[in-house]
Amino acid sequence: MSDILAKTESVVKKCKTLGADEAIARTVASRNRQVRFSNNQIDASVAWNYYVTDVIFSWNKRVVATQIANFQKTDQILKRLFKLSKVSQENPMHGGFAKGKFNYRKSAGDKAIDSLENPAEYVFEAIDAAKKTAGPKTNAGGIFLTSVSDVYQVSSEGSSGKDCRSAVELSIRAFSEKEASGHSVECSSTLKGFDPASAGKKAGEIARQAKNPQTGMEGKYDVVFDPLFVGSLLGMWGSMASAYYVLVQLSIFVDKLGEKVASETVTLRDMPAAYSMSNRVFDDEGVPTQENIIIEKGLLKTYLHNTSTAKIFKAKTTGNAGIVAPGPWNIELDSGDMNKEELFKQVKHGLYLTNTWYTRFQNYKAGDFSTIPRDGIFQIENGEIKQSLKNIRLSDNALRMLNSITGISRERQHVHWWAEADPPSLSPFILMKDVQITTSK
Amino acid sequence: MDKDLVDYALSYAQNKQVEYAEVRAHNEKSEDLSMKNGILDAYASAVDSGFCVRILADGGIGFASTNKWTKKEAESIVDVAHRLAKSAKRKDKITFAKERSVQTTWKAEEEKKIEDVPAETRIAIFTEMDHDLTSQGINVPGRMFRSGTTLTDKYFVNTEGSVISSYVPKVNAYAFITVVEGGKSEQAYKQFGYSGGWEALDEWRLTEQMISEAKMLQSVIKEARAITPGKMDLICGPEVTGIAAHESCGHPMEADRILGREMSQAGMSFIYPRGPFWLGTRIGSSIVNVVDDPTVKSSYGYYEYDDEGIKARQRVLYKSGVINEFLQNRESASKMKTRSNGSSRSTRYDRETIVRMANTFVQPGDWAEEETFEDVKHGVYMKSFTEWNIDDKRFNQRYVGREAYLIENGELGNRVARPIIETTTPVFWGAVDAVSKKLEYEAATCGKGDPQQGIPVYTGGPMMRLRGVYVK
Repeated sequence: MSDILAKTESVVKKCKTLGADEAIARTVASRNRQVRFSNNQIDASVAWNYYVTDVIFSWNKRVVATQIANFQKTDQILKRLFKLSKVSQENPMHGGFAKGKFNYRKSAGDKAIDSLENPAEYVFEAIDAAKKTAGPKTNAGGIFLTSVSDVYQVSSEGSSGKDCRSAVELSIRAFSEKEASGHSVECSSTLKGFDPASAGKKAGEIARQAKNPQTGMEGKYDVVFDPLFVGSLLGMWGSMASAYYVLVQLSIFVDKLGEKVASETVTLRDMPAAYSMSNRVFDDEGVPTQENIIIEKGLLKTYLHNTSTAKIFKAKTTGNAGIVAPGPWNIELDSGDMNKEELFKQVKHGLYLTNTWYTRFQNYKAGDFSTIPRDGIFQIENGEIKQSLKNIRLSDNALRMLNSITGISRERQHVHWWAEADPPSLSPFILMKDVQITTSK
Repeated sequence: MDKDLVDYALSYAQNKQVEYAEVRAHNEKSEDLSMKNGILDAYASAVDSGFCVRILADGGIGFASTNKWTKKEAESIVDVAHRLAKSAKRKDKITFAKERSVQTTWKAEEEKKIEDVPAETRIAIFTEMDHDLTSQGINVPGRMFRSGTTLTDKYFVNTEGSVISSYVPKVNAYAFITVVEGGKSEQAYKQFGYSGGWEALDEWRLTEQMISEAKMLQSVIKEARAITPGKMDLICGPEVTGIAAHESCGHPMEADRILGREMSQAGMSFIYPRGPFWLGTRIGSSIVNVVDDPTVKSSYGYYEYDDEGIKARQRVLYKSGVINEFLQNRESASKMKTRSNGSSRSTRYDRETIVRMANTFVQPGDWAEEETFEDVKHGVYMKSFTEWNIDDKRFNQRYVGREAYLIENGELGNRVARPIIETTTPVFWGAVDAVSKKLEYEAATCGKGDPQQGIPVYTGGPMMRLRGVYVK
């Protein structure tokens, strides 16, 4: 057992000695680096390291939590936490922390990321690729992020394990003109095969095509969504599968288990896979993470659970804890049977939307929302991109949209950017019918 | 907080070839509760403490942080930040606007000490609120409450001689409710924030406000009807005025955004060098005055000195309808050949300080609230909003009414179901022809930066009348 795991276990033992019914301690040692760039130059290079132990325990169904960064104060902090549990309020819905010892698969983390010498090279490679595609006057900005976290977790209920989680992300937005831009990402858990130029090239390609945009028109359109835009939609739908958001009515999936919620072409999974930026072998209760089919051929199969929400729904935990709120790790939309070109050919008069931001809801339960397409927005005529557009808004309903997917591409991309396409996902191109577009007046 | 170690980190940085260095330490004690449908999910109490160093060397910026308070770690993060700064290899070197050094201590006043408020009192407030809310004969099946306090000590030193200590206590609360009636639902989100002590709770009247929201949502489901779309007058309540001030005045006036530094995430601005809009360009009617002011006492965005050690002051963004002054930090100010106006903020010790708003609001006019309705023949009063968004150049925005009423011949009429204004920044601000006297604020968390830095702000303003805008 490593020193850190032993130290983490001792925190759990101290909690039990103090009188806790159950306790989980998780020590995270993380190293993060980010290069921020704009106007083709590096603005700031940032490094931030953490070393912290999160502790959560319950006493008589009262759940309390704290953090320990200074281990010399461990006893003092835990005693205070125990006092807090005595005055806290009983949570009758607390289903206990997951019980049992578990075998975990091998961690996917890539420690080679720690020894990356010159991250700036990745940035310049992406910028050069964008310029090569969109022209020498291209103006690009974005981030290059690397993150490695060693996670040591011990539960009084039997589980104990170590995980190494790693992420690499290059996000680049290229402008060929003031109002003509393209955005693309390269995301992975490892530097192996990581290709910053591919993100730069695609951002540049969209930016080149996006020149001379005209103001778009209101109406209903058949829309081909790029994987980056689909990443935002999957984040929206996947997060609403959390049992927590169902319980507080912030989900279109309230009371819809077993019902048809999407077109038959849709199979949606949560998959904390090795390739993902969100790779992990156990959740915050120590339960092994697993593949969960959320929607299968249009039918809602499960919510995402921790032990407590699972008990409320008379289900089993899906390995998605969050102690308070379970959530998705990495969402996958199953690939379809068409390639991208075939998908475009389905569209006589429609749109190709490459990215979006600022998604906000009128009503999460009903699903009414709007989001603002940005970067390349294109009119499609008879399967071909004809005109670059600008200044439109997608104003529709999240449930209706899920039911209006008529085509999914074979090719998929692992995407994530900022808070807009989050959590990470494996996203195809999709074709959706009758999407409502509105504009400013 | 070990200030000697912070001072040591600075002196260690000074021994390197740097153009500038600063060390900023945060020690934050927090207490948070999370309640779902009347049940306390968890109560958390923690102390987060760490420090960062930012170095300007060879015209590049390097930043590194740690939560380990050791001399070795201090040296390590200085070494890393220095190396990162030099790795930038910029063609045009970054410089910081010259500012005078400051030695001072400041704090936000705390009438009722937060540390004196036990956990059981905090929990009881929300338990009772939930009980009262669900005892009104209204079906509220979804109730999510979160509340927290932070006590933040900061210590800032830089190579120009600034030494600043500060203490800011904050209280926050969030409530999200869903009302269901006859198979239909409506939702409301309210946020509360305050810099100061537990007296915040007296001002907020949480239970009263949330019961009022629930009753309103029930009435909306039962009574509200869609409006026939068309051009009409729109009266914005202070909440709607405030979000517009934040989104289509505050954000586009951030100088780093104007210069492109946020181009890939939060985006750019419709204001840019040699573009159609710049300092001195008209953007609204002559009665539009929008300011950003960190010095509003007890406000959620309150501060006396920013995170670069610059004295805070009010910034007049739109003055008599004209673009007047951008929000600047030292880096953007240097690029624009001006001075910082104290707009640099960071949420934590492990986040770079960037240009941010504080409290952005429309300044009051001279109209009584009832006067703004008097000569409206046909229009809508949008008291509060639900969905909202704006494009990343801050030009095309949309606000959807949560509580709204028809106005006919100067009189308030029936409720209107989710009326929408979807328009451009010049159309919105250019249509304002009346601004009322009474200023109100709303707390909000503003998102910007990568990694995201959700920062406390106020939005606000009085009631505003917009003439002849398209409402649907």
